[in-house]
Amino acid sequence: MLHDLTMIAARPSAFATPTRRQLLGTTAFVALTAGLLTTTMSRFAVAAATFDDAQKMMLLRVARDIYPHETLLDNAPYQAVVDAILTEADKDEKVAKMMSDGLTDLDKRADAVYKSKYVDVKNPLEREGLLRQIELTDWFQKVRGGLLFGLYNNKALYPKFGYDGSSWEHGGWINDPSFGKVEWL
Amino acid sequence: MAATFDQNDDSVVVIVGSGAGGGTMANELAQKGIKSVVLEAGKTLSLEDIENDEWAMFLKISWLDKRYSGGTWHGHINHPNLPAWIVKGLGGSTVHWAGVSLRYQPHEFKMKTTTGGVPGANVLDWPISYDELKPYYDKAELKMGTTGDVTGMPHLPWSSDFKVLAEGARRIGYSKLISGPMSINSVERDGRPACQQIGFCMQGCKIGAKWSTLYTELPRAVDTGNCEIRTNCMVLQIEHDKSGKVTGVVYADKDGKQQRQKARAVLVAGNSIESPRLLLNSASSKFPDGLANSSGQVGRNYMSHMTGGVYAVMPGKVFQNRGTQVAGIVRDESHHDDKRGFVGGYTLEKLTLGLGFLSAFMVPGPTGWGHKLTSALEKYDQTSGVWICGEDLPQEINNIELHKTEKDQYGLPVPIVNKTDHPNDTNMRNHAYAQMGKIYDSLGAIEVWNLPAYPASHNMGTNRMSEKAKDGVVNKWGQTHDIKNLFVSDGSQFTTSASCNPTLTIVALAIRQAEYVADQMKKGAI
Repeated sequence: MLHDLTMIAARPSAFATPTRRQLLGTTAFVALTAGLLTTTMSRFAVAAATFDDAQKMMLLRVARDIYPHETLLDNAPYQAVVDAILTEADKDEKVAKMMSDGLTDLDKRADAVYKSKYVDVKNPLEREGLLRQIELTDWFQKVRGGLLFGLYNNKALYPKFGYDGSSWEHGGWINDPSFGKVEWL
Repeated sequence: MAATFDQNDDSVVVIVGSGAGGGTMANELAQKGIKSVVLEAGKTLSLEDIENDEWAMFLKISWLDKRYSGGTWHGHINHPNLPAWIVKGLGGSTVHWAGVSLRYQPHEFKMKTTTGGVPGANVLDWPISYDELKPYYDKAELKMGTTGDVTGMPHLPWSSDFKVLAEGARRIGYSKLISGPMSINSVERDGRPACQQIGFCMQGCKIGAKWSTLYTELPRAVDTGNCEIRTNCMVLQIEHDKSGKVTGVVYADKDGKQQRQKARAVLVAGNSIESPRLLLNSASSKFPDGLANSSGQVGRNYMSHMTGGVYAVMPGKVFQNRGTQVAGIVRDESHHDDKRGFVGGYTLEKLTLGLGFLSAFMVPGPTGWGHKLTSALEKYDQTSGVWICGEDLPQEINNIELHKTEKDQYGLPVPIVNKTDHPNDTNMRNHAYAQMGKIYDSLGAIEVWNLPAYPASHNMGTNRMSEKAKDGVVNKWGQTHDIKNLFVSDGSQFTTSASCNPTLTIVALAIRQAEYVADQMKKGAI
């Protein structure tokens, strides 16, 4: 995977690295974020000096609200994506500012509608409504892109969704008792 | 046995691309003793490279060179740099295809006659008929190992997911429910094993049960000693002499160095984006609008099928991923009957998406998130879905355009792929959504999701076949109207798109074209 990503980065001319805006929300962007996730899997493992605890918790809340699986998934896979972004923010001021400004803006919007901080808005649908207002922003799409890969292309989580993943190692499904069976029709 | 040809050897045929068109041409010509050099832009692939992982394979085999989505289809916003989902690698998109091998219906070669023409569309009859192509369809099925009467190979067993679709279809009165024809071995055949229902057909068949030029036509062509394959070689330009005859190609090798291969004839089979792009990029003082473009039709009439998807959460387990990706089809709407509000027809094809792709495509683009989506994803094993494959009308505005300023890593103008629905497409898609809604409702579906088109894997029409030179780019043999020793051998020849996946027809046309090329060479006409 990384080989291909490197290949894209190594192209000689300026067009070779599409701008973030070109990539956001697109299939290619989702693919490119794959590399981010493998490196950081621990709970706030990095210094993330740029962000205080309240901001970090808010980012985790936003992540859980983007792809909510309240009973299915614990914090860990969301945390991994948030950590990757915090690590990047530590190294890149632009990312830090984008994320920090985004969180501040989201709190302002929560305050305007509910007289409350975002994380204190109790109803998840109301939080989703607030996020819908800012869904096309770069910082939101950065979190969403990371999650799309971190949650749904995460082999450790496949069984929770009832997805089997790779099957060739065990000879496919042709001899599995479930093949061709429908119990409920 | 592998041959090596000198770059100055002008007796060889140069084939651009190694997929369904190019790979088949290479082997067909090689078997007839005709020497060829295949120039493949992508890298060498083998079964070792194949994984059952959607995104890993997407990154490994997709054509990801810079492209733009244009026109008004949603991909202009949601897939701005991925208009098409095709392969850059040895074997081309035969690595990625699902194996569906439908023949065009006789009327689908005659859409102008059938419809009387459609306002706003550039509809034309093919210069060949079903009867003319029928023997080549037979040969293609024998070559590819297509389940059904010609090979005698039984269709594949029905997966649980196809049983669900078929039962719903039966309940609304449909009867054309079938798990073939598929070019996937249902029994061991031609040195390849029987399908093990692994799934992930479109990530490349791990065991080679699905036909692909990667492990059939290409190695067989090389084994004759008549064919040399050069991978990582991107053709930049086709050259010609004063008389207008093509003389060879200039290509960038794996190190980006420019090379020149001389040729007796050039066969272009780089898919419907790259093939017209190459002809346009080969413009010269003699051919200022690009090669073979006296009609102005090179790059136009781009078709990708009228498509969309419908996915539904069922009341019980479906296990959509346990079996071939397109495990069966419904053909009750593939006829022509304009009383439905559109011309042409469509095929409903059960399509598995894994969790990675379903999460990305159920609501594609930046708005694809939120509780409604995630509650559906939590019922992945209860989810069933189809892909809609319908006649897409040729329109001049749907074209491959060259970017005015932006160049790719080879220094070539970046292609812009313009696609806008004709009202016929919209009507047909809505009809298909409604019919699928009825099917899933009849099964007690908990929820039904309509998905817009994916980035196109079926790309057709941009060098179309026509009887008259003014209407298209190539004649009924795929030979360009303007230049005798320049041929188009891929789906860009298609005059119209039909309700059928294109690969079988590309292969049938290639087998037929190879006979013609051999004959013309023997006669000294080219």
